[in-house]
Amino acid sequence: MRENPGAAAPPPLPLMPAPHLGVRLSTKRMTWMVSLGLFPAAAWGVFLFGLPAMGVLAVSIGTAALAELAVTLPSRRFTLADGSAFLTGGIVGLLMPAGVPLYVPAAASAFAILVIKQSFGGLGRNWMNPAMGGIVFALLSWPAPLSRWMTPRGGALQDAVLTPLDALRAALAGPGAKEGSPLAILSSAGYSFSGMDTSVVGWVNSHLLAPLGTSLQPGSFDVLVGHVAGGIGSISAPLLALGAWYLISRGVIRWHLPVFYVGSFLVLAAIFGGLGSGRGWLAGGPVFHLLSGNLVLGAFYAAPDPVTSPLTNKGKCMFGIGLGVLTFLLRYYGSLGDGVAASIVLGNCAAPLLDRWAARRGTVESAS
Amino acid sequence: MTHPTKLPRGGVDPPTEILVSRDAVIANAIIPSRALIPLLQHSGKAAICLVKPGDRVKEGMLIGKADGSRSANVHASIPGIVSEVRELRLPQGEVCTAVAIDLGGEFETSGKPRARREWQGLSRPDLLDRIRTAGVVGLGGSSIPTHLKLAVPPGSSSPMLVANAVGSEPSMSADDALLREKAPEIVEGLRVCHALLRPARTVIALGENSEELVPELERILRQSGMKAEVTVLPSRYPHGHEQLVLAALQGKPPGTGTAATVLNVATLFAVFEAVLLEKPLVERVLTVTGSIVRQPRNLKARFGTDIRDLLEECGGLTSEPGKIVVGGPMRGVSVDSLSVPVTKGTSGIVAFGIADARPGAELPCIRCGNCIEACPWDLVPTRLYKLIRMGDPAAAEREGLSRCTECGCCAYACPSRIPLVAVLRDGKRSLLSDRKGTPDA
Repeated sequence: MRENPGAAAPPPLPLMPAPHLGVRLSTKRMTWMVSLGLFPAAAWGVFLFGLPAMGVLAVSIGTAALAELAVTLPSRRFTLADGSAFLTGGIVGLLMPAGVPLYVPAAASAFAILVIKQSFGGLGRNWMNPAMGGIVFALLSWPAPLSRWMTPRGGALQDAVLTPLDALRAALAGPGAKEGSPLAILSSAGYSFSGMDTSVVGWVNSHLLAPLGTSLQPGSFDVLVGHVAGGIGSISAPLLALGAWYLISRGVIRWHLPVFYVGSFLVLAAIFGGLGSGRGWLAGGPVFHLLSGNLVLGAFYAAPDPVTSPLTNKGKCMFGIGLGVLTFLLRYYGSLGDGVAASIVLGNCAAPLLDRWAARRGTVESAS
Repeated sequence: MTHPTKLPRGGVDPPTEILVSRDAVIANAIIPSRALIPLLQHSGKAAICLVKPGDRVKEGMLIGKADGSRSANVHASIPGIVSEVRELRLPQGEVCTAVAIDLGGEFETSGKPRARREWQGLSRPDLLDRIRTAGVVGLGGSSIPTHLKLAVPPGSSSPMLVANAVGSEPSMSADDALLREKAPEIVEGLRVCHALLRPARTVIALGENSEELVPELERILRQSGMKAEVTVLPSRYPHGHEQLVLAALQGKPPGTGTAATVLNVATLFAVFEAVLLEKPLVERVLTVTGSIVRQPRNLKARFGTDIRDLLEECGGLTSEPGKIVVGGPMRGVSVDSLSVPVTKGTSGIVAFGIADARPGAELPCIRCGNCIEACPWDLVPTRLYKLIRMGDPAAAEREGLSRCTECGCCAYACPSRIPLVAVLRDGKRSLLSDRKGTPDA
């Protein structure tokens, strides 16, 4: 009404810069959607491991939220609503064994939020994935508690319980490795497979695979669905895949990075893995690798973290390949867990470099 | 009909639930009782005012004379008496002289059929003069005087002439509606331009949503005897941009193809009226839409009409407006009141409610790369944004800032609601003022 003096002017309408439309998928919504994508796998972990699993998740998420609050409150920024601290705490907890002493997830979450995320300026400014950094910190600090696992459904925390990955390593390292299969090692370590596994594997073997002259080993079904010892949220590949499908179909993450990550890892495992899949599926070949450890969770939920991965699709593809190579090397020759968290942290260091290599035409010569 | 093989990259797909019905005819907006006509409705300098308060003006009379080569004539859109000549701040921020006309007297031309004048025998300068005299400017958004685009040095010719009917912005359907109703006239306007430019190749580029018009256009083209292709391009925003239409037609990255003259269909219709009817440009078709507009419509409105009147004409607003945009939803300018006159550059009016007006809280950049995917110009908007925010627009310039056309795709795609376009625009402005050596331009 600037041009119409005298008249009882209504309050001026707000002036805003173009464009006047925006995508519905906000950063906040995306972050909460990633948490939602992890929910089925988390629920499965809580179902298998009960209260100890809930305790770990509550402590890891609670500590992350408290740490975020403590840092942001003095400057009167309330950042919990963006969902990022919740997600970081959640991933930290989901990668840990149920029943681990609670100071371990607490310390890992606090380190993730305070040191890795907030000391660099909070959301968007950290160069390392907070959850992966927190996990690596915990693995370096408390390797022993982080390698004691619970058996599913009511087992106590034991030193002797093996994860599929432990069994795989034993199979690779032990004398006569070529004969031992990880599943055989699992069962010889006293690991009892579920009744469901016995019936499903038996049915598949007699009805589907017998005519083909091959068979599944006992335990295959348990490994496939994640009825095994392992991280609370990382054991169930199908449920993680379900969440990943949801995120990709809704445009929250792009497929490039996870597909190249998992793909390059599988190729290396197939060529150099030592245990072929010749003795039947899930007997230690690439698919067994995919289903053990944190690979699926890391590849679909942690590595695509936009903050710490390269900007462009080309960069994301290269990043994925690099992570696959690193994970393979660390898993076979390293000692830091299953190598997923460590390789993502190492990869994060290289992300800015990849950004420069994969810079778009027309910007590459001037990027300095 | 042809389809291009190589399409430009980038772009976004905003929801288009607020479209004007495609069957709706273009309605003539009511003649305003008072028209406030700015003398700056084009890219160059404001026209020189030829009237003073108390003067009686006829419909279509020249009231502003072009001042310089990039300026354009301005005509009275209604007959009546000049009640006021005053300063007016336009939505884009410029201040210019505006002439207020109180309606009165007879409509000497409106509503009466005009005889079509013969133009085939006219010389190039005479044709250009008719277009220039009528005050025709690019109605697709550029507002560049059209005779400048059509003037080629004697003896030379333009390699390519394109009639652009690919939608300029999401939800803006005025061009499509005009093409549906005035295809013969638009083709005739294209023939005039063809005669002026003698191009080696002439193309009518349509958006996918106008695809069913192809047979009709091809029939009209056959009748007219002009050799021209009809090509259908995807209607993805912002691929109706002149450079991107050319990129699609020529199969080359934007900005690298051969020179061409691209004219919007509304401009071609204005050329038709200027040359065949000798009618000055005093009205245009625009889209009135938005989530709170009761009945979105395409209206033909006289310049100087208040946008309030046009919103009323569309059944009014269903709730309190949260934001009113003059232009399209992606590139338009928000205005602080409804007392804004329609000008040659007003391609539409979009009314947002309180709920959908605000972009949402801004969050830090999470480096998702969506802006890079969306940019049709192969830029890295987030990096340009950071460079400008760090006070180094010159570095942003080295990374291609000047290629940015402010199409808005990056800011649209940004999940953190970062005002990328606004900052990039600021960066371009500060570069310009550095170059001019003035601290504030």
